[in-house]
Amino acid sequence: MDVTDVINLNAIDLYLQVDDKKGAIEVLSELLFKDGSIRCKEEFINDVYLREAQGMTGIGDFIAIPHGKSDSVVKTCIAVGRVDKGIAWETIDDKPVKLIILFAVDNKSKNNLHVKLMAKVAGALANKTICEALLEAEEAKDVLSIFKQN
Amino acid sequence: MMNIIGITACTAGIAHTYIAKEKLVNAAKELGHNVKIETQGTIGTEDELTKEDIEKADIVIIAADINIGGKERFKGKKVIDVPMQTAIKSPKTLIQKIEEKLRS
Repeated sequence: MDVTDVINLNAIDLYLQVDDKKGAIEVLSELLFKDGSIRCKEEFINDVYLREAQGMTGIGDFIAIPHGKSDSVVKTCIAVGRVDKGIAWETIDDKPVKLIILFAVDNKSKNNLHVKLMAKVAGALANKTICEALLEAEEAKDVLSIFKQN
Repeated sequence: MMNIIGITACTAGIAHTYIAKEKLVNAAKELGHNVKIETQGTIGTEDELTKEDIEKADIVIIAADINIGGKERFKGKKVIDVPMQTAIKSPKTLIQKIEEKLRS
């Protein structure tokens, strides 16, 4: 198993047509729902906002990492979305957000491999080269190979 | 060269903890220091600091949004508490400031 096992290829949209944070979370959650990774979209989105209320998820350089630890998660995985223009988000550098990496975590999973792999994905986002490549990626599968190279 | 150790921990323990760790490690290495960062997250504690790590350390960086476990281990050490945000946003500046402080 490697990081690509937690990045959900069915929940990657590099050409999101949304105007704001709410729309981005909504569309990515819909993809997770269609894929069967979450049981209830509303419940999941509520849990994502619960985390949003606890502190900024914009980590700077156009990237945000919202996450929902939720009972509605069936399969712990990561959805990825990108908006060309950049949308308003609470970020540590006050820049807008273009790349949204949404972590869906099963509330009950503690010491499991998937959460460990997610930690690896998060760690990779500390690497500028990876972030830049993600902002430029053209296809969903490119996202996987970028993380795989790490 | 300094021996830097630290702990990162965030509210959910899923993502920020690990980004902050990598940022601190990268910045410290870039500036020529030895570094080891313990993470306290959902998956438990990883890269746990040993007695030896702590003994050798010149500085302990705690970048956390929550109360961390095992703070008493650093009794008598120079400890600097920073918000998670600082470690993610400007890890290099943070370490450079520590360099200056320890020098003076």
